[in-house]
Amino acid sequence: MIIDAKGLKKTFTSRGRKGTRTVEAVRGVDLEVKTGQIYGVLGPNGAGKTTTIRMLATLIRPDAGTAAIAGHDLLKEPAAIRRALGYVSQAGGVEEQNSPRRQVMFAARLYGVADAAAATDRVLKRFDLADIADRPGRTLSGGQKRRVSIALGLVHTPPLLFLDEPTTGLDPQNRANLWDRIRELREQGTTVLLSTHYLEEADALCDRLAIVDHGVVVAEGTPAELKREVSGDVVTLRLDEPERAAAVLGPLAREARVDDQVLRVYVDDGEHTLPKLLSELQEQRLALTSISLDRATLDDVFLAKTGRSLRDTGAEA
Amino acid sequence: MIRDTGLFLGHELRNTFRNPIWPMFGIMQPVMYLLLFAPLFAGMAYGGDLGQALTMFAPGMLVITALFGTMGVAYGTIYEMRSGVLERIAVTPTWRPSIVLGRMLRDVAVLVVQSFMVILIALLMGLRIGPAGLVLTLLLLAVTGLFSSGVAYGLALSLGDENAMGQIMQFFALPLMLLSGALLPMALGPDWLERVAWFTPFYHPVEAGRALFAGNLTDVSIPLAFAIMLGLAALTVTWSVRSLRKITG
Repeated sequence: MIIDAKGLKKTFTSRGRKGTRTVEAVRGVDLEVKTGQIYGVLGPNGAGKTTTIRMLATLIRPDAGTAAIAGHDLLKEPAAIRRALGYVSQAGGVEEQNSPRRQVMFAARLYGVADAAAATDRVLKRFDLADIADRPGRTLSGGQKRRVSIALGLVHTPPLLFLDEPTTGLDPQNRANLWDRIRELREQGTTVLLSTHYLEEADALCDRLAIVDHGVVVAEGTPAELKREVSGDVVTLRLDEPERAAAVLGPLAREARVDDQVLRVYVDDGEHTLPKLLSELQEQRLALTSISLDRATLDDVFLAKTGRSLRDTGAEA
Repeated sequence: MIRDTGLFLGHELRNTFRNPIWPMFGIMQPVMYLLLFAPLFAGMAYGGDLGQALTMFAPGMLVITALFGTMGVAYGTIYEMRSGVLERIAVTPTWRPSIVLGRMLRDVAVLVVQSFMVILIALLMGLRIGPAGLVLTLLLLAVTGLFSSGVAYGLALSLGDENAMGQIMQFFALPLMLLSGALLPMALGPDWLERVAWFTPFYHPVEAGRALFAGNLTDVSIPLAFAIMLGLAALTVTWSVRSLRKITG
């Protein structure tokens, strides 16, 4: 167990013109991450993902709770944790004026890496940055900057890497590329804790994940386990009277749920249940606009646990 | 501790000297005053004796360099906060205060070089100053720079907002500069004005600078200025280190 956190809490107080305002960003998070995993923290914006990661990275002090990271106590041995940890914030921390090589080399020195120049060369090469290593940071593309920021967090070869929303703002190609890099890290034995609000990312990349909402973990497990928990398949129907249809189809399914005029029917065996659903609808004279059959996704898990769809709550540009 | 501070100082100095044009801009204002205003001052108060006038006038310009030069650099720190650079540095196992201290020492080093160049120009214009006075002046300016740099980083780190920082500095810089007597000695004004000026920080290095330039090395204003600047520097450096801790834990 490389991360073992229990009951982490953090409340922020901001003083404004209209008096003090408190935000309970994290309301009791437990996390257990085994060595060598890619562990995801999935949740909408504002769920407390970044606050949780920043607490574990020794950047903010939790109000309550305990955590052991790489065998060190979070509150008593922050210096030891910092040595064992690579942390890449969402902002990235790439300097505009400085070249990647200078920045990475300086980071290596700050970490006390024995041969800073060699370590810098190695990590720049590994992230395909050798060709652009001497250009000023401001001339780099979004994908390149993201790779520089990860190189900055990895130059001291930590056993544990935190990535806060690593692919936010990247185009699909750069995102896929970054996923491969993260998988490579796992193959080399690095444990990765990453936060994301992308369902596909959590599903495709993570060995285990914690789904967080409003500062608490609402579900935890492997993506497959979590989806199995909800149901095998989901039939999504659009029709004029979703409420009545839900009542009609309910007995044939494990669950039928209306969400924003869309009826989702959860069934164990979609291929065989679909004809029965259709004939039942016809019998009850319910006119159908569209129908689709999909495997349950993590969004269905989120919906089942929170009553909301992550796609809606995570609605942003 | 010292190693970490040295690392940051070295990194920042390299950044500064890659673009040495910016520190040059920092001395434009005082140099303009020396070239274009000091002759008027000489004609008005010293019968056209520019060398004599500069003894009075140059110390004020040096303190203005310290006041405005170090203030500007802290803007960069706000950018570093927003872009995650500070956060990334704060998760390394470095001694936290060295992050701010390294930057401040860079500012002080740049200021000493800037001051030296301003003095050089004043010397070319006819200023006369002894070596002991010169060294003590540079030392005093270094401490003054440390104080104003401490204010700048403290503001930058606790506000985290360029606009707010700009407003606050605009608001305080002009009265502090006027009350320092950098342009004209406060002794020319009414008593109450000089009394008010005494309670503003930059009045003291200007007074001490004039004594140093005039060769009155035993003048009481000199140890007083050192004591006040050292005390204020200690306070503001502590404040800015604390502000850093607040944003990085």
